[in-house]
Amino acid sequence: MVVRGLAGLAGLLAVLEVLPRTPLVSADYLPPASTIGRAFWHLLGEGTFWSALGDTLTGWGTGLAIAVLAGVAAGVVIGSVPVLRAATASTIEFLRPIPSVALIPVAVLLYGTDLRSKLLLVVYASFWQVLVQVLAGLQDADPVAQDTARSYRLGTWGRIRYVLWPTALPYVMTGVRLAATVALVLAVTAELVIGAPGLGQQLAVAQTSGAVPEVYALVLTTGLIGVAVNLAARAVEHRVLHWHQSQRGESQAR
Amino acid sequence: MQRRILGLALAAVTVAGVAGCGSSDSASSAASPAGDGKTTQVTVGVIPIVDVAPLYLGQKRGFFGSRGIELKMVTAQGGAAIIPGVVSGQFQFGFSNTTSLMLAQTKGVPVKSVVNGAASNGKVGADVTAVLVKKDSSIKSAKDLAGHTVAVNTLQNIGDTTVRESVRKDGGDPAEVKFVEIPFDQMPAALDGGRVDAAWMGEPAQTIAKAQGARAVASPFAETDPNLTVATYFTSTKIAQQNPDLVKKFNEAMTESLKYASEHPDEARQILTTYTKISGDVLTKLTLPNWPAQVDTASLEKLAGLGEQDGIFGGKKPDIGALFS
Repeated sequence: MVVRGLAGLAGLLAVLEVLPRTPLVSADYLPPASTIGRAFWHLLGEGTFWSALGDTLTGWGTGLAIAVLAGVAAGVVIGSVPVLRAATASTIEFLRPIPSVALIPVAVLLYGTDLRSKLLLVVYASFWQVLVQVLAGLQDADPVAQDTARSYRLGTWGRIRYVLWPTALPYVMTGVRLAATVALVLAVTAELVIGAPGLGQQLAVAQTSGAVPEVYALVLTTGLIGVAVNLAARAVEHRVLHWHQSQRGESQAR
Repeated sequence: MQRRILGLALAAVTVAGVAGCGSSDSASSAASPAGDGKTTQVTVGVIPIVDVAPLYLGQKRGFFGSRGIELKMVTAQGGAAIIPGVVSGQFQFGFSNTTSLMLAQTKGVPVKSVVNGAASNGKVGADVTAVLVKKDSSIKSAKDLAGHTVAVNTLQNIGDTTVRESVRKDGGDPAEVKFVEIPFDQMPAALDGGRVDAAWMGEPAQTIAKAQGARAVASPFAETDPNLTVATYFTSTKIAQQNPDLVKKFNEAMTESLKYASEHPDEARQILTTYTKISGDVLTKLTLPNWPAQVDTASLEKLAGLGEQDGIFGGKKPDIGALFS
């Protein structure tokens, strides 16, 4: 599995190395993989690169944390009160599809280019991912289990704690995993378009400077972060849900 | 496991809280008024291009620090983020081309230019912007642009307005030129790939395209007016009224910076490496603008007239005296 994956990557690199040397594409706009690699190596030695990386990760992590907390809290409250769920359903369906990037002008007016602009976009986009999953998870709770809990006179908190939450948790983790990826996309977008400090802003500067290999090197960096984020989210999911059947099968196979 | 999740949640809340405090602190200090003898933090919204080199050079040379101004440059992708940023008070000053400022003024956006930014160097054939065509193009001079597609970075702005003037002066029909919007950095590829017949480029796109064999057929800025004031630094009318002292100090420091940059072009070129990723051949070859200390009012009147002719101000007339005095 891993070997085949690496072979695929090596193949892609080989194509990237050869393609710019043919008349099909110009090396001015798609430099060979080795040139991009050198630019990437050069970036690693720059202080500005590391502080940009830090800015991007700060925006991503803070935004994600706020979105997950707010999404879970709002989801549990709305999802466990049927009246609230009915009353908010249309509002959620109206707000959810608004693309976060459409809020860029609002973010600039409110906060300029600082971290809060980035957070506004990141939180808005990832909040819905979590909220919708939490709501779906709560709805999935077994009615018999709920009735049983009621007949045993479990209070609201008890029912959330012992019946609703364990059912919802796999959904919540899926929401967190989706939100983690979306948050990264929005963090980089905010930097690229608004000019908030971070890798996206470095990318914009490289682009306006016509520094093509650096552009590709920075794109590569964001791609690597994306892979890392996804792997980390899966690892967290696996640990939190180690008791759940979706994860147990995998554990036995090991 | 439950406890672990609680711990994780607590940690996240703490991180969010700390970040929240940090950002509100920086915002309040940035908005503090200019006190006597105290340092004022001033945020300037700029585009990371050659034209703003004097600002960075002036900061490095201490022209701002000696006047109690601590500069913080924020680079935006374009004027779209800078004008709203200045008007809403996120930035105290911003950098913008003069047509955009006139457009803002005619739309009732409260902006006021405070000091010169950059000007055409007046050299036809070697100005800061040029209309470029492919080496083997049939277009030989500006009048041949009629009937062809020309790329500009923003429609209805300083680019198409001055390109039309070049075509007009060369005896062509400016109404016959078709303009399309493409960002500067994508223009060399668009021209090379034949997606457009010609492209109006600034630096460093111009130098990059020339290295690929592109040929200049017009110098719209220099042809419109050899002293054309291309861009200025501006503030909101609110800051101009409430904090004239800060505006005065910024003007003085910037004037000194413009003078210094004009006298030390090599240093101006070198400072580019600190805020752009321009390097190598392009860095040594790119064309610098002129950095006069004063705006050229006559050239701005001309530019406003061209904009009116093109109908970009919606039938209104920019008040040059009020905007650039």
